[in-house]
Amino acid sequence: MEKGICISNDLTKKLNEIADFVKQKYGAHIWFVEILGKRHSYIAGHREDSFLPPEVVYLNERYAIVSNEWEKIHEKDEILLKVKSLLGEQK
Amino acid sequence: MTTALLEKSWIESVIKEEEITKYMDNGKDFINDEEIWEKLKNNENSEPSRVREIMAKSLSIETLEPDETAALLNVKDPELWEEIFETARQIKKKVYDNRIVTFAPLYLGNLCVNNCLYCGFRRDNHVIKRRVLTFEEIERETEVLAGQIGHKRLIISLGEHPRTSVHYITKALETIYSVKVPTKRGYGQIRRVNVNAAPMSIEDLKKLKEVGIGTYQVFQETYHHETYANVHPEGTLKHNYQWRLYCHHRALEAGVDDVGLGVLFGLYDWRFEVMALLYHSRDLEKKFGIGPHTISFPRLEPAANTPFIQESKYKVSDEDFKKLIAVIRLSVPYTGMILTAREPAHVRREIIASGMITQTDASTRIGIGAYSDRYTEQELERQQFQIGDPRSLDEVVRELAEMGYITSFCTAGYRCGRTGERIMTLLKTGKEGIFCKLNAVLTFREWLDDFASEQTKAAGERIIQQEIEELKEKVPPKVFDNLLEYYRRIQNGERDLYF
Repeated sequence: MEKGICISNDLTKKLNEIADFVKQKYGAHIWFVEILGKRHSYIAGHREDSFLPPEVVYLNERYAIVSNEWEKIHEKDEILLKVKSLLGEQK
Repeated sequence: MTTALLEKSWIESVIKEEEITKYMDNGKDFINDEEIWEKLKNNENSEPSRVREIMAKSLSIETLEPDETAALLNVKDPELWEEIFETARQIKKKVYDNRIVTFAPLYLGNLCVNNCLYCGFRRDNHVIKRRVLTFEEIERETEVLAGQIGHKRLIISLGEHPRTSVHYITKALETIYSVKVPTKRGYGQIRRVNVNAAPMSIEDLKKLKEVGIGTYQVFQETYHHETYANVHPEGTLKHNYQWRLYCHHRALEAGVDDVGLGVLFGLYDWRFEVMALLYHSRDLEKKFGIGPHTISFPRLEPAANTPFIQESKYKVSDEDFKKLIAVIRLSVPYTGMILTAREPAHVRREIIASGMITQTDASTRIGIGAYSDRYTEQELERQQFQIGDPRSLDEVVRELAEMGYITSFCTAGYRCGRTGERIMTLLKTGKEGIFCKLNAVLTFREWLDDFASEQTKAAGERIIQQEIEELKEKVPPKVFDNLLEYYRRIQNGERDLYF
């Protein structure tokens, strides 16, 4: 059974790959959320957490990346660009 | 078209058969009444060693098998029951730590097309004063709840009716979220709105998702097919057992990933209903990888002009009530469990002291418009039922603190992606409890500074210091430093900082 949200399996897979890359290279957790009013629903990425305050980086009106370890991720800008381009391809 | 015709046409448009059958296995739903009774019969007289093995499984935060829950439900030995209660307490502590989340119900309207025998709002109950709040009235109710009482979390509740269908609910959610009220040291705002409403189609549930619904909560009332058909008369929308049974499936498919289950205990045998709640949880886990965010267990309470309630032969005693809560706790160990102000204060005190539940309401008013009207007596003709514990939030918070619990106003999880499969993982690994503890301290600080009476503040300060000391031992130094920084900022008037 799949959720009927407007996110393809392919996108979820690619987002998970990016999260795994970040974990492998920087030892940091990131996860992706869909923004729905106050609700930020998990769609992909890590399920572990380091218990630090989460910092949300908004990608567009609909999606954001969350991490509590941004300071570890030196390629933050490149990663954000990559995800934005992936989301652009979905339109 | 006349109002009656419009209503009839709306009723005919609600149920989508294809949104029932798509979830069924070989044309059958997942509640097999005979199988449940068979499991209960086959698991009588389990050895204490087997019962203890089941308790150990629950403690490792694994959902039980139906045979295991049936074995627990058949325990007769009072000493073994004490062990079950203790295990339930340990599970709650492991998954959610020492906090109890509070919320308030907000009844928006009591128009209803259904005619449920046990419900004060049923269509044919002419002693009820019918009313639907306007959006201005909802704003006023929210101002009292967020600005004077200090709630951060609401559950809105309403009957099933074309006037209060999904368009009304979405606008109500937007209205509630838009209210921001100055308080003593900061501001008050509702941060999470859960919805207790009738079953909806996937399309309508997507609309609720778009406006930021918290949990979508629907109680099956009774899972026993025959009883369900009897108490929800033929010809009404609610008569359709499976439309209701699969509404959480539809919600998950629509992307609303926090769903709440419940039973109205007293309609049928409580052991059967507990088994059915387990089957329901397991089917959601199997099909979506996500179980219920919460389970509720209200008991039948008196309602205006509703004799059915007095006549029910399945009323649950206080002793059995405690047992059923414990078995739910063990059967679905990761789930949140809600005890409401339906119960009288002495029952709530005992159940809360047993350490099994995670959420409760306070300052509860269930009359339509009752918060801003400031009436203090219950008026049954504008309530769905009679509440048992009308104490204020301040009194309840104080009592919880004196019992050693910290009241949490946390709504962080669903605002930073701790939802769905992610929250399930964190709950099952016991990690969510750390967030619960951290955010309980921060939100309790806010509430003490903004709303507490002097007496409650004194009790609250003791518990908050105790929690901070515990956190110092429990979390890495960096996390603890962050906590202290946020704590100081909240003391200085900042609001809504969270982990």
